[in-house]
Amino acid sequence: MTFIVPIGPQHPALKEPVYFRFETKGEEIVNLDFRLGYVHRGIERAMQERTYLHNIYLSERICGICNVGHTTTYCQAIEQLAGIEVPDRARFIRTILCELERIHSHLLWAGIAAHEIGFDTLFMLFWRDRELVLDLKEMISGNRQMAASNTLGGVRRDVKPEHVPKILGTLDKLEKATKKYISLCTSDRTILARCVGVGVLPKSDAKKLCTVGPTARASGVDVDIRRDDPYEAYDEISFDVITTPGGDVFARVVVRLLELLESIKISRQAVEALPKGPLRVKIAPKIEPNEAVERVEMPRGELLYYAISNGTDKPERVRIRTPTYANIPSLKPMFVGGTIAEIPIVLASIDPCFACTDRVALVDSHTDKTRIVSLRELRRWKG
Amino acid sequence: MMEVVNFILDSLVFPGLLFASLIGLLYIGIDRKVGAHMQNRIGPPIWQEFLDVGKLLSKEDITPAAAQTSVFTAAPLVALGAAVTVMLLLPITSAQPALKTVADLIVIIYLLNIPAICIMLGGYSSGSPFGAVGAGRYVVQLFSYEFIFILAIIAVVVRVGDLNLPTIVGYQAQQGWLVLDWRILPAVIAALIAAQAKLLRVPFDIPEAHTEIVAGPLTEYSGPRLAIWRIAYDVETIVVAGLLVALFFGGPTDWVIGSIKIPGIVDFLIKILAIVLLTTTLRNIMARLRIDQALKFFWTYVALLAIISLVLVLVVP
Repeated sequence: MTFIVPIGPQHPALKEPVYFRFETKGEEIVNLDFRLGYVHRGIERAMQERTYLHNIYLSERICGICNVGHTTTYCQAIEQLAGIEVPDRARFIRTILCELERIHSHLLWAGIAAHEIGFDTLFMLFWRDRELVLDLKEMISGNRQMAASNTLGGVRRDVKPEHVPKILGTLDKLEKATKKYISLCTSDRTILARCVGVGVLPKSDAKKLCTVGPTARASGVDVDIRRDDPYEAYDEISFDVITTPGGDVFARVVVRLLELLESIKISRQAVEALPKGPLRVKIAPKIEPNEAVERVEMPRGELLYYAISNGTDKPERVRIRTPTYANIPSLKPMFVGGTIAEIPIVLASIDPCFACTDRVALVDSHTDKTRIVSLRELRRWKG
Repeated sequence: MMEVVNFILDSLVFPGLLFASLIGLLYIGIDRKVGAHMQNRIGPPIWQEFLDVGKLLSKEDITPAAAQTSVFTAAPLVALGAAVTVMLLLPITSAQPALKTVADLIVIIYLLNIPAICIMLGGYSSGSPFGAVGAGRYVVQLFSYEFIFILAIIAVVVRVGDLNLPTIVGYQAQQGWLVLDWRILPAVIAALIAAQAKLLRVPFDIPEAHTEIVAGPLTEYSGPRLAIWRIAYDVETIVVAGLLVALFFGGPTDWVIGSIKIPGIVDFLIKILAIVLLTTTLRNIMARLRIDQALKFFWTYVALLAIISLVLVLVVP
């Protein structure tokens, strides 16, 4: 006899509303089903109603954690539409902000993962050290979280010369802390007991299900947009792509922690090699008909923006594919065969961000046809 | 007549309900504060538990439609009653407990299991899948730690040759603490680990694992009934620690510093606090285990410790 364990839409293991329906036999999971769409915000549609400049702020609000990644990709797409080149200094500053964001996001993730396995002390320590990065972000962009630094054609705020020693000092501190955490996480018996061999995603499945980001790299798939399709200043910076063959939760922990070290390395190089020059170039408000695709490696994986312009100051269409959207199918092979106790940590191990992921399509289940309804129809629609 | 009044005072005021609740809430408050400092946080004030319980008592009490109301309501009350009763049987001020009727260690072991059984009943009767899963886990956990806890106690009983707690405390007053006896030491370690599981603390907070099954058996409880659960849990904490103190750490001892005589209860409470703080430390340096891992851990390493101790006590005179 199977027994349904509902996880969500409200559950302590979930930071955002999403509904998982686990069919269990005792403690073992035999099947699962998930339902997204609790936090759909209609941002793609809203982008068509606003000007290119205005849309930067909208794209920034798609994800609170990886806001720099979103604006970077958006700005790159629009710059490609308009056919303009970003000044060198702006490219480097964007790179620094992207990497600082990766550090803060990975530390945040590590804290949450520790909390999911009941290790609250480690959770607090990770978040304590995350404050260091947030301070850096505040110093460079003026904001701890929502950087609001990227703009079409460049960046809005400069990294001042007096900031550089401070940034380097904090990065040294972070590197020391990260090394301590790596030795802790790879040696603590209880952490190993909860993470090794749990939620395994084999390399073949990871490739078949188009998994992206650290989740794919932990399964041995060697993908990283920063190296494969360099953007901003990544082609002028040397770094390693971390992969491990394990495929389990522990491999994902290790990949993210080692990526922290790589990110620190990249930020340090970018800060030291910061070229002189202007911060931004002007961009005309109206853009001729064109289309563009841009990809960026976010903390969670590949982010894709596809934009079409139509000669006005508003985009014809912007399509966004967030990393969680790509990673959701890979949850199934991770969960089936595991136990209820593994649900939170396996779910957290892909570092999900559901608000970015929600899309809506109305499908008639009898005819399999999708249809479009107006806002007025939707308001009156019952069920 | 006097006996009846005394009995009522004992069970309701000292060392019964009132005293036990006050000390329990205070100690868990200290536990939270110390735990917070271990995690590099400031933490709540040490009287936070009083505020929490006070708030819960004034809140709306909701019974889920699917719940078995009578069992659901009785579970916290019975649990609290059992925990307070053990308090009456512990030697707190001197070797003699408040309740002088013949009640030996076997009764205490039974009574200490009642809160666990009540949590299971509360979970199953709540009609929530989280409650049912949590109760199921608790059954497994009970089977992992309880036998080892009893084995450790048996080692002491064999050493002392008596089932009565006052006799055990008296023996330690003459022969020194049992924890200092190398034959008993493995049993003490086993009992401390079992107590960690009995008190549902990390790494054995599996039945109420917050991120996995919300609050396990207590998920559907709210308002005053949850407050009673909190008090029951807090009293259980000091009662289990108190039993360990009486068994292994000499129980209440009078101290004379200079010309001031410090009563045994102070000594007893300090020892309880030390044990509570030991469990606080353990719960802050580990991650939660899975239920199968906990079961395996108890039946291999911890059971081995308890059995070694028992064999040593039996073989080495």
